[in-house]
Amino acid sequence: MINNILRGFFYFVVLVLIQVLVLNNIHFLRVATPFLYLYFILKMPVGTSRTNVVFFSFLIGLVIDIFSNTPGMHAAACTFAGFIREPLIRLFMGKDLPEGIYPSYKTFGYGGFFRYTLLFVVIHHVTLFLIESLTFFDPLFLALRIGASVVTTILLICTIEAFNIESQKSGE
Amino acid sequence: MRKLLDFLVRKRHWFLFILLEVVSLMLVYQNNAYQRNIMFSSANVITGHIASVSGYVSSYLNLREINRELLERNGELEMELLELQDQLDMMRADTVTFSGFAPDSTEHFPYSFVMANVVNNSVTHLSNYITVNRGRKDGVEPDMGVVSERGVVGIVSTVSDHFAVVIPLLNPKFRLSCKVLGSSYFGTLSWNGRNARFANLDELPRHVEFEKGDTIVTSGYSAVFPAGIIVGKVVDFEKQHDDNFYSLEVELATDFQALNNVRIIKNYRQAEQKNIEQEAKRND
Repeated sequence: MINNILRGFFYFVVLVLIQVLVLNNIHFLRVATPFLYLYFILKMPVGTSRTNVVFFSFLIGLVIDIFSNTPGMHAAACTFAGFIREPLIRLFMGKDLPEGIYPSYKTFGYGGFFRYTLLFVVIHHVTLFLIESLTFFDPLFLALRIGASVVTTILLICTIEAFNIESQKSGE
Repeated sequence: MRKLLDFLVRKRHWFLFILLEVVSLMLVYQNNAYQRNIMFSSANVITGHIASVSGYVSSYLNLREINRELLERNGELEMELLELQDQLDMMRADTVTFSGFAPDSTEHFPYSFVMANVVNNSVTHLSNYITVNRGRKDGVEPDMGVVSERGVVGIVSTVSDHFAVVIPLLNPKFRLSCKVLGSSYFGTLSWNGRNARFANLDELPRHVEFEKGDTIVTSGYSAVFPAGIIVGKVVDFEKQHDDNFYSLEVELATDFQALNNVRIIKNYRQAEQKNIEQEAKRND
């Protein structure tokens, strides 16, 4: 239990710092910005109560908002993404997962983890960019931005997951 | 009753979800540029300090570029100085009665400025904001103009004790009154949301004469910027739908992606001008 809290806290701080100090400044070809902090929500243990997932998703979104001057946008998108995390896992992995394992290549399988990440990231990005474009609508450019950001985010998450020491151990 | 309670407890994540979504959306809608909640902007003390540390580190990364700009600016100023000196000499030689330049001591140039460093900046959102490390304690107030060595940057929107948030040209909420250098007709400059290098100048009357490459400067009507600060240059133009106005595509002089040092312009007569303008509107 206490281990889980420490682990979550560590992930939270590190991912927020990476996002705010480095990734928020990346605008590949002026359209793509990776949102790596989603990795925090993705990696919460299976079986965490949905209330907790929703709450912590909101929290990380809010912190990112505060740092990047986008009041409420990330918070709203993250809350939604956190809310549909559980059904997503059930959709891809069925109900018979042992409680308390962390989603990773080992526990979910390469295909499973990738599909889970892909759908999760797409849903989050679509929500985020739609909220952002409420003030300014331009469908083609919007689609381009969503597509490009999804690709960069997924690439980053999959790379980091491949090198995550914890994931390689957690299959035991 | 028990069933109802049971239901509520079982579905509590739904309620939390809805509650948090409502809170977030409220934040999105309430934080309009002019009444931004200081708590949630990066003018906040903690986020401001973290941002200024990272800004301090990254400011070393483009020193070469800044140095080049300063040299360029220095050269320009020197040229200007020479030109003025030349004119002065000519006047001295021309006029026998000329006895030196004596400015009227009651007439002051109403603008002065504060230097500031950019500590947080964005260029790819639809509504971009810039945070700088000068605030109320340095005499910065909302609605002051901000310029870089190259041209106009934006307007101060919120101020805390040591930081200020600037709405740059790259924000659809910001509209700037501009004119083509040399003519006196003005139009409105606004951003199209796509490219950080370009903005559009609309509502310029059709009989204004200009060419591609002409310089666009501030008109000075708003009391925020003095007249004649460079905004950019014309790269393309087209007629607007109603055919009476031009719409110009302007390449911005300021490079927002590499913004580092800015100057915040104070105009001590701004309040006076605003008051009298408001009074005139009220009397209407």
